[in-house]
Amino acid sequence: MTSFSFNLIKNKNKIFGFSSFLILLSLIGILYSTFYTSFKKPINLGMDFIGGNELRIERSCKEECENISPDLVIEKLRTFSNNKTLLNNIKLQIQNNNSLISIRTPYLTIEESNNLISNVDKILGPLNYESKNSRIIGPKLGKKLLTNCATSLLVSLFAISLYISIRFDKKYALFALLALFHDLLIVFGIFSWLGVLLSIEVNSLFAVSLLTIAGYSVNDTVVIFDRIRENLKKNSDIYNKTIQISVNESFRRTFFTSITTLIPLLTLIIFGSYSLFWFSVSLTLGILIGSYSSILLAPSFLIKD
Amino acid sequence: MKRRQGWLFFIIFLLTFSIYLLINFPLQLGLDLKGGSQLTLQLVKEDGKVSKEELEAVNAVLDKRVNNLGVAESNLQTLGRDQLILELPGEQNPLSASRILGKTALLEFRIQKENTSSQLKNLQLQRLKINDLIEQFKSGDKRNEETSILLMDNLTEIENDINYSPNNQQLFERLVEIKKYISNEIANLFNKTNLSGKDLINAGRRQEQTNNNWEVSLSFSNDGGQKFAEITKSIAGTDKLLSIVLDGESISEASVGSQFINTGITGGAATISGNFSAENARELEVQLKGGSLPLPIEIVETNTIGPLLGSKNIVKSLYASICGLIFVGIFMIFNYRILGFVSVISLIFYGFFNLALYSLIPVTLTLPGIAGLILSIGMAVDANVLIFERIREELINGNTLIRSIDSGFQRANSSIIDGHITTFVSCFVLFLLGTNFVKGFAATLGIGVVISLFTSLNCSKTILRFLTTYQSLRQKSLYLSKSTPL
Repeated sequence: MTSFSFNLIKNKNKIFGFSSFLILLSLIGILYSTFYTSFKKPINLGMDFIGGNELRIERSCKEECENISPDLVIEKLRTFSNNKTLLNNIKLQIQNNNSLISIRTPYLTIEESNNLISNVDKILGPLNYESKNSRIIGPKLGKKLLTNCATSLLVSLFAISLYISIRFDKKYALFALLALFHDLLIVFGIFSWLGVLLSIEVNSLFAVSLLTIAGYSVNDTVVIFDRIRENLKKNSDIYNKTIQISVNESFRRTFFTSITTLIPLLTLIIFGSYSLFWFSVSLTLGILIGSYSSILLAPSFLIKD
Repeated sequence: MKRRQGWLFFIIFLLTFSIYLLINFPLQLGLDLKGGSQLTLQLVKEDGKVSKEELEAVNAVLDKRVNNLGVAESNLQTLGRDQLILELPGEQNPLSASRILGKTALLEFRIQKENTSSQLKNLQLQRLKINDLIEQFKSGDKRNEETSILLMDNLTEIENDINYSPNNQQLFERLVEIKKYISNEIANLFNKTNLSGKDLINAGRRQEQTNNNWEVSLSFSNDGGQKFAEITKSIAGTDKLLSIVLDGESISEASVGSQFINTGITGGAATISGNFSAENARELEVQLKGGSLPLPIEIVETNTIGPLLGSKNIVKSLYASICGLIFVGIFMIFNYRILGFVSVISLIFYGFFNLALYSLIPVTLTLPGIAGLILSIGMAVDANVLIFERIREELINGNTLIRSIDSGFQRANSSIIDGHITTFVSCFVLFLLGTNFVKGFAATLGIGVVISLFTSLNCSKTILRFLTTYQSLRQKSLYLSKSTPL
């Protein structure tokens, strides 16, 4: 780990190729998700945005909880209730050695949700109500949250762009922003694919992660551009070479920073609460891609042929 | 040198002060860490433009209702321009709270219109029937086909009689909707008067003596008492009834006896007896005490977290933060030796300052908030990495230790400030526009960014200066990892 000598000038086209490939994959994911899935959206929107009811509760079994198939549970639920819209759209999973029940349904009132829990209790009980986590989001709020998240994203992207273009001259600012959109697009694309392939949904924390990635990625790029600018002041005659040297000088820093940010994120993924799991995953991906784009992609834009 | 020592004392003072704050003002934990219910209430207005005054007025009414709910430490605050957030710590079933808060509770006293007796009698009869069906539905075996067919037949009969059929296919919802429709139709047979819920000064409830039902008692203000007397006087001894209407539905109709023909009912009190259960009576009492809402509200989000889950979340977050800190510390010491050690110490300072600010401002700590804190650890270290890399370069270039440290801090300055500003911009926007959930994250990350600017630039430098006053700690090899050629 002493010094790096990466030939940026020579590998410029490979970097462009790699990034284009990733972007293409993301776009395919987004398009596929928009046109060929049941939800017909660029990304699989979760309960935060479309409303619904999410319920997690543990069973209190004396020793090990006996195995019971979710389909059978739903079948049994039908004997207690005749709410067809609910029973046809219910998603029920039993995890953690049959001890944790998680249920997703369309929007229910508090009363209906309570009824559902007491019916589940009759089938899988006794349940440990101390461990309950229930979230009900009305469809109206969902729409509001969605526009809210979209506005936050746009406003802060605009604010960051504004800051960058005041801080740097136009060319640098443009390239830093290109790298930023590259990162966001790819993370978005990955989650489109996750939605298509594993039905992973995104909630409002996903939007937060995108915003955080935006801040992080621009920050990373700024550091490298600062370095390039500083070195160009000293010797501007060998332009391409200076950029390459600056990149190599910044390599250790970018690498170390990514690692020190990734370590806490990994501990969050491993130890943290389940509600932060996909949030941490998305941040991790964003930081990996953001580091790549700021150290390799953004400076490649500056290299002259 | 003197100035640096001043800084050292200042930092130590800040640390002691932080610890003092943390001991005396413990951190406030969010519901996802201690368990409880959270309701998000949305004001409903046709054009969507809720004014500040309207939000305040709704807030005031709800506040009274919440206080009468009797949940300890409940907290109601506005969110954005048209939402309110109610937190009920420890509450595991927000059903009754939601029923009490969700109703507009507009109470009216109405007088029967001319020549409506037969219509009223018919509607009252239908209401009796539908109440009966609802009772049957509640007590009956719901999946029994015969019962539901029987219920459905009776229901269709009523629907034909009143000439109304709801779109809803669910039997129970249908029953409730028809009941609402009938009560509404009954209320329409009455004319409004100038007496309303505004004229109340108090409400109470008591059990009726003859049966197990509850009734709600009303006390009018002086003015209201007079109005009530006038109204009752005007219909005393006639066949016109007085109706008590709540949110457009008539809940009780009564005649006024001829003995009141001269003075009306005086005394400024009335009772509503509309077959209330104990719970319904309590709900109405709380609603009437708080007054009616100027705008209807809708409960758009309900979040309930069990206390056990909350404490599990605390343990998990603690694990994640401490492991994150330890691993980052090991990584830094491994790569930067003494410098790494310095960054670990300033990270510990950083942690204390953050927590102290949370208790000072105060910031309520939630799960996303902890995520923001953990993430900000990484960002705080980033500034150190930038500085240390510069110091390392200067050392490799053959500069003296002290000079390397100085120019390292100086030259990393602008990059650090840029980086912090871009992150802070994101946090600021998130805090302004985000939901309650998101705000927690934005707040802790934003505070972290500001503090990290101080700890990484100032604390690290001060500690480093302090360490380098010892001759034995001035060897260059202590500042570079082994593999680095000198």
